[in-house]
Amino acid sequence: MIFPIACREALGAPALAMAATFLAFGAAVQAAGLGLGWALASALLVYGMPGQMVLVTAVATPGGALPAVLGAAAANARFLPMAVALTPWLGVSRARWLALPFIAVTPWAMAMRRLPGLPPEQRLAWFLGFGLTSWLVAGLATIIGHAIAPMLQGRALAVLLFVNPLYFALLLAGETRAAPSRRAVIGGLCAAPLVLLLPPAWALLGAGLVGGTLAFWWGERRGRR
Amino acid sequence: MAGADLALLLLILAGIALRGGGMVVAGRLRPDHPLVRWAASVALATLAAFVAASVLAPGGALATTHTAARLAGLVVAIAALAWRGGLLLPLLAGLSVTLVLGAAL
Repeated sequence: MIFPIACREALGAPALAMAATFLAFGAAVQAAGLGLGWALASALLVYGMPGQMVLVTAVATPGGALPAVLGAAAANARFLPMAVALTPWLGVSRARWLALPFIAVTPWAMAMRRLPGLPPEQRLAWFLGFGLTSWLVAGLATIIGHAIAPMLQGRALAVLLFVNPLYFALLLAGETRAAPSRRAVIGGLCAAPLVLLLPPAWALLGAGLVGGTLAFWWGERRGRR
Repeated sequence: MAGADLALLLLILAGIALRGGGMVVAGRLRPDHPLVRWAASVALATLAAFVAASVLAPGGALATTHTAARLAGLVVAIAALAWRGGLLLPLLAGLSVTLVLGAAL
């Protein structure tokens, strides 16, 4: 049974990264004066941290919530290329739509490492097990973060916020053995200064589009070696 | 419905549209289709840009830690990954270094 194996794989480093990020998010929602229901709906139904943070920052500003939706959606626009890259690995059955709510950075990044090495009939079950576990960890951490918000200040909050980039750096470092992934990572690093130049809501996606597209062309010119 | 609630509902719908749109587009493509490879490249590059920005030029509370502490944590985490493999040990090693140096600097 691959499902429980995937659930166990989601615990450990992935769960630590998810928990740290969503703890900080729960605290941010509480600091913005919003309730636990709003925090949970955002964590579990949006389930995309950049957009969540853009929105929770904006709703703390009078009249800022609705105009921020476009910026928050743009910050989460990476869901589109992630879903395009992931879907062919999930098979052709209608059951693959069960994966939709779990498409987020952590499950996606781990899935792109694990799914190519699994038999096709096990891939969807693996993703659902990993995704569901990560999703539940995110919800639980949000509840705890909302409850203990006053304790999450200063250095404690900064360290929590650093868990996620550090975890993704480790995933990316593991990805660089394959040439296409290595080119994409190099492309993203080279395009990273755009994050400082573009409007915040579009910055990450803009850098990713430029860096990723250049890396893709580079690979095509080299004959996908 | 309050503005914050309506904004949240709209963002949830946008997320469903983005994820669902990607699944519809790629539903009948093979993993080695150029569009799928391009999308994977963009997604990975986005992640790499996020990591670089978070380590070198973060905003918010993360900016309160010293850049040297974040960089040292990253270097130690990747060194631990190369040395021992796995993810949890390198992650904890990198965090510990960031925490200790962040307090010292």
